[in-house]
Amino acid sequence: MTSPRRHLWIAAAIWAVLSIVGAVLVSGIQIMPVIASREAVIENSAFVLLTVLSVPVLMFVVVGLAYSAIWFRADGDEADGPPIHGHRGFQTVWLGISFALVVGLFGYGAVGLIDIRGAQVSDFEVQVRAEQWAWHFTYPSAGVDSQELHIPVGERVHFIINSDDVIHSFWVPAFGIKQDAVPGRTTQIYVTATVAGTYPGLCAELCGLGHTDMRFTTVVNDRAALEAWLRQSTPSPAGSQPPASGSEQPS
Amino acid sequence: MRALKPGLLRAVLGAAIGAAIGAGSLILAGSLGMEITDGEILGLGYLLALIGFLLGIGAFRFWLIWATGREVNAQEEHAAHGTAGDWRRYFRFTTDHKVIGVQYLATAFALFLVAGTFAMLMRLELAQPGLLLGKEAYNEIFSTHGAMMITVALISIVGGLGNYLVPIMIGARDMAFPKSNAFSYWLLPLPILLVAINPLLGGFDSGWTAYPPLSQQANLGQQAYLMAFVTVGVASILSSINFLVTVFRMRAPGMSLMRMPIFVWALTVTSVLGLVATSIVASAFTMLLFDRVLGTSFFRASRGGDVILFQHLFWFYSHPAVYIMGLPGLGAILEIVPVFARKPLFAYPLAVLSFISIGVMSFMVWAHHMFVSGMATFFPIPIMLTTELISVPTGIVFLSALGTIWMGRLHFKVPMLWVFGFIWAFLIGGITGVFLADVPTDLTLHDTYFVVAHFHYTIVGGAIFGLFAGTYYWFPKITGRMYSERLGKLHFWWFTLAFNATFLPMFWLGIEGMRRRVADYPAQFGGVNLWISFAAFNIFLSVAVFVFNIVRSWRRGPQAASNPWRAQTLEWQTASPPPIQNFDHIPTVTTGPYEYGSGPLIGVPAEGRSTP
Amino acid sequence: MSVHAGTADRHEHLDHMGLGEQDPDAARGNMLLAVKLGILSEVMLFGALFAAYFVIRSESPGWPPVAGLERPALFLPGLNMLLLVASSGTMQWTVRSARSGDQSRIRRWTRLTLLLGTIFIVIQGYEFATNGFGLDAGTFGSTFYVLTGFHAAHVLAGLGLMAIVATRRRRGLVSAEHHTIVEATSYYWHFVVAAGVFLFLTLYV
Ligand code: HEA
Ligand code: HEA
Ligand code: CUA
Ligand SMILES: [Cu+2]
Repeated sequence: MTSPRRHLWIAAAIWAVLSIVGAVLVSGIQIMPVIASREAVIENSAFVLLTVLSVPVLMFVVVGLAYSAIWFRADGDEADGPPIHGHRGFQTVWLGISFALVVGLFGYGAVGLIDIRGAQVSDFEVQVRAEQWAWHFTYPSAGVDSQELHIPVGERVHFIINSDDVIHSFWVPAFGIKQDAVPGRTTQIYVTATVAGTYPGLCAELCGLGHTDMRFTTVVNDRAALEAWLRQSTPSPAGSQPPASGSEQPS
Repeated sequence: MRALKPGLLRAVLGAAIGAAIGAGSLILAGSLGMEITDGEILGLGYLLALIGFLLGIGAFRFWLIWATGREVNAQEEHAAHGTAGDWRRYFRFTTDHKVIGVQYLATAFALFLVAGTFAMLMRLELAQPGLLLGKEAYNEIFSTHGAMMITVALISIVGGLGNYLVPIMIGARDMAFPKSNAFSYWLLPLPILLVAINPLLGGFDSGWTAYPPLSQQANLGQQAYLMAFVTVGVASILSSINFLVTVFRMRAPGMSLMRMPIFVWALTVTSVLGLVATSIVASAFTMLLFDRVLGTSFFRASRGGDVILFQHLFWFYSHPAVYIMGLPGLGAILEIVPVFARKPLFAYPLAVLSFISIGVMSFMVWAHHMFVSGMATFFPIPIMLTTELISVPTGIVFLSALGTIWMGRLHFKVPMLWVFGFIWAFLIGGITGVFLADVPTDLTLHDTYFVVAHFHYTIVGGAIFGLFAGTYYWFPKITGRMYSERLGKLHFWWFTLAFNATFLPMFWLGIEGMRRRVADYPAQFGGVNLWISFAAFNIFLSVAVFVFNIVRSWRRGPQAASNPWRAQTLEWQTASPPPIQNFDHIPTVTTGPYEYGSGPLIGVPAEGRSTP
Repeated sequence: MSVHAGTADRHEHLDHMGLGEQDPDAARGNMLLAVKLGILSEVMLFGALFAAYFVIRSESPGWPPVAGLERPALFLPGLNMLLLVASSGTMQWTVRSARSGDQSRIRRWTRLTLLLGTIFIVIQGYEFATNGFGLDAGTFGSTFYVLTGFHAAHVLAGLGLMAIVATRRRRGLVSAEHHTIVEATSYYWHFVVAAGVFLFLTLYV
């Protein structure tokens, strides 16, 4: 017959081991599948922290349940358990720890958010217009209007987002940034892409029949290539060569 | 002639007549050259149908007598409780809270089956990349699924188990207002039917959240949903008032607030939430209705309305609403744990406190559904704090459960199994909730399957697991018969495994970037989705086992003792099923509800101690 | 939970009571508490509507935003408010006389309150008819009519209750002992009046 104290120690030991092992295992992994922006890096780190911290919480409850299920079965014994109504010390510790956890998580999240949304400087501006069910990107600097998103790598890009009809949501998973396009309002976000490449973009807010297919392509390139693309897709005077692929005449 | 006696038949008749008058008159007016919209026809038709239905069922009978200044004769009023063992009273305007409870349970389960079948259709569409039912159909199916399931989660435990048990648990003869209690139940059938048939009206495809402007474009079915939701809201406001008055004024002598069973506490806080929050969504939906039908422009951006305003109003109700779904489950779980652990509830006062603080805080977190909707840039920060703080009181519930189980004498009867399943599921749901509360991560996770997984773990974990646990636990009390332990265990293991197999992979899908509310997805997700659909179909089958078990045991299960679980709360100190007046003598309470291990209790009636 | 059969005579009394009826003072307390709770949820209802009003108004360039719209003139609505406030007073007199059980006075005050309420509705209706703008007149018309309309509906409900009071009194069911209905109605009525005043101050002034 093991004493209550023994049970506590054994369970605690199991919990500690599992928590540490689990935390170490998850601490390394990159959670977000693609990370191609400064913002995505911040989000991934927040994600990892949350995962690491949730391991001990999860383990605590699971070990508690499993251990009891194994050791504290009545097995037909009709006697009652000990009349324990509570344990002040234990309750305070539990409260203290979960409070501390929350405050810690909040602090980290707040700093992250300020980092993401804080620096509102714009090296390159793109106007995003959503409608049922298509995306239009306008580049004021070059007067270009395209259905493809082209931005420079390593520069702070300022997106100015509008919608013609219903709510849509501008989302490039690789950038980890999402922002609703709201009719009657202008919303905006800043992104600094860090890895050149081509990424899918999506509409994340239910917007009717075409929601499923409301996708677009994002091309991240260095300045030179971007300029080239802009120049070649600039609406040129009538009678010139047809516009390059992926661009369309501004209406 | 029987048709003219108050009852279902007359109710249906009344509804038909009401609809005919309402719709007919407008159609006539239309044919006479006034321009009448379908929306107006549906609106008036529904309104009068509802009134006709209630008149037919006899809901206004007593109130009309009273209003016209005559005294309701006690005989009739007594008769309205129905006579024990008469099955017909379940289909009448019966004022006995036990009958009403069963009516709610049956309705909720029926609705659950319908909505679940819709879920199966969704999984059919999603089993493979590409389209099967089509985008339009899919949008309408998941919207209806969501709307119905939310209703299930809102009414099942509160309306069902709550109505049946709360008066008995606090030693009262009935609710404070039996007639309004029956009234709020009979408000439900018509709106529920309306949502069920909304595909005939063109369906509604803007999700249960019904964000404008999309919901202003949607078909007539959208209006059906809005009207139905408002009606259900009125019903839940009425029953909230009823619960609160009952709990605060009808307790048996000696039943101090801190001697109330924890389940009663949970329902009390739930009722406060229902009372305070529901009228907000009711007004939001009414404004949306008017925008659609009467040409107002509250949420019409083109006419100076504000689109985001709707989201604020909607979530200001709908976040508390998730606790209206969650708290009753938590209460049921904490009610069951001590009985099967043979130990007093751990930290009872703290648990009560946590329920109250959950209730209060749930009004400060609504905007965590709107982190990317274009609110002020840093408004998410305080919301993130409050949202994560809610984890602390919610955690206390886990503390109570674990503390009670620890060093207990665990009897793994079916209800206790569901308790364990509940704790696991709600823990996963809760912790992933904190992931979503963290703004940086929510920026990617919002509107992905991570959210879908989160809220199925919390709602199914919180409401459905709690509902199953409670249903098995109180089944002997309600029916006087024992369910089949073996079928119960089969149902539990099958459901729990299938449930986790269905929703765990969705977290991964969400992280990998699969959006919610899409009928089609990139091929790379094909395998996982096929697996999910397969697992989901197993949930369906397991629930069939439950239905079978309940139906069969109710009809010819073994007789149950009045207190098969050797529980100490009041509902077990009276016969199973309880007599119409609940107790032969109103008991006087002298100790707390969970005095396990404190030796034989003075005064517990002999039959109150019978062993399983 | 340890229990034993009730002995205190109040509970003996409860025991031998049929299901329908309830210990009168208990029933009275229940009713009054229920009304208070109901009013709480009504407050939230108007709260949401007012919130919508303030948000929309704060966001629109001017108020009324649409050119050519005129805010309704102050005189009639002001008069109407005064009537409503007065009715609150007469309502309170109804309660007083009900407590004392003086039938003729109850009758007088009930009728007076009914009268004031009805006049209010009539004037409100006249105003709606002559306003010169409709529900569909942009956000201005929307907020104006929905808020005032909701309130008018509540006034009508209050008048309904008052009518019930009157009928029950005529049947001799309102007395110094039994006047719960009167008090309940008064709670509700005072709330409606308060809401009306607030409405006046926000929408008109
Ligand atoms: C019963 C229903 C229910 C419950 C109880 C909850 C509980 C919680 N929910 Fe959830 N939620 C929903 C139902 C529910 N939710 C629904 C339906 C949606 C989607 C609506 C839609 O868009 O369609 C949603 C969406 C949703 C979002 C928006 C996601 C998005 O759209 O981007 C967020 C974001 O913050 C969130 C957070 C939380 C949090 C923090 C909790 C917390 O209350 C959880 C607290 C519990 C725990 C944390 C676990 C136990 C605690 C401990 C063991 C203590 C120690 C732990 C820590 C200190 C972390 N939920
Ligand atoms: C109580 C709440 C609840 C419950 C229990 C469920 C249960 C289930 N839900 Fe969900 N769901 C929601 C509430 C709920 N849901 C909400 C609010 C949404 C959001 C909608 C929106 O976006 O607007 C949603 C959305 C949602 C989606 C995302 C749709 C999308 O975004 O594209 C999916 C996808 O798989 C899904 C699946 C399921 C499945 C497989 C079940 C299964 O667990 C179902 C299991 C139950 C059954 C299968 C019923 C059993 C019936 C029988 C066994 C018949 C037998 C009968 C007899 C023998 C008489 N649900
Ligand atoms: Cu646009 Cu979804
Ligand atoms: Cu929420």
